Amino acid sequence: MSESLLDVAAPEASDPDDQFDTRRRPGIWTALGRGKGLAGLILIGVVVALGLLAPLLAPHSPTEQIPGANLVGPSGAHWFGTDEVNRDILSRTLYGIRTDLLVVFLAVPIGAAIGILVGLVSSWWSFTDVIAQRVFDLVLAFPTLILAIALTAFVGPGLRTVFFVIVAVELPVFGRLTRTSVRTVREMPYVEAAHVIGAGSLWQLRRHVLPNSLEPLLVQLAVSMSVAVFIEGAMSFLGLGVRPPQPSLGSLIRDGVRNMYDAPYFAVGPLALVVALVLGLLLVSQALAEARRR
Amino acid sequence: MTHYLLRRLPSALVVLAVASFGIFAMVRMVPGDPVSTLAGPDATPEARAAIRADLGLDQPLLTQYVHWLGQLAHLDLGTSYRIGGQVKDLVADGAVNTIVLTLTALLLASLAALVCSVLAVVLDNRWVNAALSFGNTLAIALPTFVTGLVLILLFAVVLPVLPAGGTPPDGFIARPDIAAQYLLLPAVCLALGAGAALTRFLTEALRTEMRQPYVTTARALGISRRRIVLTQALRNALPSAVTVLGIQFGTLLGGAVLVEAIFTWPGLGGLIEEAISGRDYPLVQVLLLLSVTVFVVIQLLTDVVHAWLDPRIRIGGTGS
Repeated sequence: MSESLLDVAAPEASDPDDQFDTRRRPGIWTALGRGKGLAGLILIGVVVALGLLAPLLAPHSPTEQIPGANLVGPSGAHWFGTDEVNRDILSRTLYGIRTDLLVVFLAVPIGAAIGILVGLVSSWWSFTDVIAQRVFDLVLAFPTLILAIALTAFVGPGLRTVFFVIVAVELPVFGRLTRTSVRTVREMPYVEAAHVIGAGSLWQLRRHVLPNSLEPLLVQLAVSMSVAVFIEGAMSFLGLGVRPPQPSLGSLIRDGVRNMYDAPYFAVGPLALVVALVLGLLLVSQALAEARRR
Repeated sequence: MTHYLLRRLPSALVVLAVASFGIFAMVRMVPGDPVSTLAGPDATPEARAAIRADLGLDQPLLTQYVHWLGQLAHLDLGTSYRIGGQVKDLVADGAVNTIVLTLTALLLASLAALVCSVLAVVLDNRWVNAALSFGNTLAIALPTFVTGLVLILLFAVVLPVLPAGGTPPDGFIARPDIAAQYLLLPAVCLALGAGAALTRFLTEALRTEMRQPYVTTARALGISRRRIVLTQALRNALPSAVTVLGIQFGTLLGGAVLVEAIFTWPGLGGLIEEAISGRDYPLVQVLLLLSVTVFVVIQLLTDVVHAWLDPRIRIGGTGS
C-alpha cells in the first residue's frame, strides 16, 4: 500500500503527463498465474476436485464393510487396500478430504472474518484496543495444540471442536494483523485529511482502511488455511477430532499408524493428500507474499 | 534489571490468577460427571452422594477453589480420580519424559541451526543455499504427524534399525546408548520445525552482520570469511537468536504433545488426554494450570532476556 502511494507522489520525471496517473499497479493476483502460485493452485485444485467428486469417484461408501476384505494390500479392486474393519481405504480417503475442505474453506474464513471485524472496530478507540490486544496476546501465547486440548477439555471431542479451535486460533491472528494495518493507514495524510473534513470513523474504515489491508490479510488467509489442515490432522491424530466412523485425513493417518506393521501401505494415500494440500496452500501464500514485496 | 522484572511480574501473576480460576470453574462446567464415571451405571443415589461428598464436589464452587489453592500452596496436588495414585507423582513422571524429549530436540535444533547457517554464510555457494532453502521449506511445511510417520516407516519398518516408539526400558541413565536409540526419532521429529525456523533466522542475522562495515574492514585486511564468521559475526548475531530460541522452546513443548502420541512416548501429552477423557478433575486442572504457568514464565523470561540485551526496553515504556 505504501508503494502505490509512492507511485502517485513521485511519478517518473521524464513523463510529465503521467503525473496524475493513479492506475493501479498490477494486483497480486497475477502471481497466481505463474510459477509457484500456479503450481500451488494446481495442487489445491486437484485435492479439492477429488474431495468434491468423492461420491462419483469412490468405489464404495466410506463406511461400507466389504465381506472378506480384511487389511488387504493395494490391488485393482482396492487401490489403497482395506482397513482392519474391511472398509475401502480409497473411498474413506476421498470422503475424508471433504472433512478437511470444510475446515479449510469454512472454519478459517469464519475465524478470519470475525477477527478482521474485531480488529477493525477495536483498534479505532484506544480503550477497546487495549482490551483486545491483551486478549489476543493471551491466546497467541499458547501453542495451538495446547489451546486445542484445553478447549476440547471444555466442549468434548468432535468436528465441532475442531471448528471451534480453528476459529479461536485464527481470530486473534487476523485481529492483530488488521490492527497493524489500521494503525499504518490512519497515519496516512489522505486519511487524516478525510478526518479533518469530517468523515466518520465507519466511513474511513470502509473506504480507506479495509481496502488497504486486503493484501496482507489474503497472504495470511493462505497461511492460516495450511495451518488448519495441520490442526485438523493433529487433533484427529490425538483422538480429539472427528468421531469414528466419519473419516478425515488426520484420522486416516492415525489409523495407518495403528496398523503400521500389518499394513504399511495404509497411510500412504492420506499422507500424500495432506502434503499436497499443505504444500499447495503454502506455495500460494509464498507467491502472494513475494508479489506484494515487488 | 531487577526493577524491570518487578514491573513485569504483577501482570504475569494476574494472568495466572485469572487462568487458575477460569480453569477450575470451566472444568466443572463441562458436560459429563466424574461421579458417574467412577460409580458405574448401576450405582444407587446414596452411593453417588457418598462419592460426591468424598471428593468434596458437594461444596460451593468458591469453597472448592479456595480449598484447591490451599492444597496447591502445600504442593499437595490431590489424588487422581481414575488412574489412582498421587497427581504429584503422575505429573512428575510425565514431566521427566517430556522435558528429556523437549530438551534433546532443542539441542538438536540449535546444533542444526548453527551448523547450517554458518555453512550457508561461509560457503556462500548458490547450490548450497538452494539445497538448504529447499530443505528448510520442506521442514517448515510438513506437519509433524507426516514427518513422524515417514520417519517411523523408514527407520523402524522398512529399515528396522531404531525402535518405533516407547521409552528406554532401563531408563535414561543406566544405558545411555540404548536411551539414545529410543530418543533419536522422536527428538528429530520434534526438532525439525524449530530447527528450520531457527536456521532461517540465524542465517538472515549472519548475512546482515556480513554487510556491516567492520566485516568489509576485516576482509580488506585479508582475514578469511570463515574466520570473520566464527570469531566476529556469530558473536554479534547470537544474542537475538537466543530470544527466538525462547519462543521456539514454547512451541516445542506444545509440539511434544503430538510427537509423544506418534511415538507412544509416555509424557505429559498422553497424561492430559487421558485425564480429559476420564473427567479426572484434579489431574486436568493441574496439567492445564501447569501449561499456563510454563507459557507465562517463558514469555516473562523472553521479555527479560530481551530487555537485558536491549537497554532501550529496560529503561523505556512498560515493555508491552
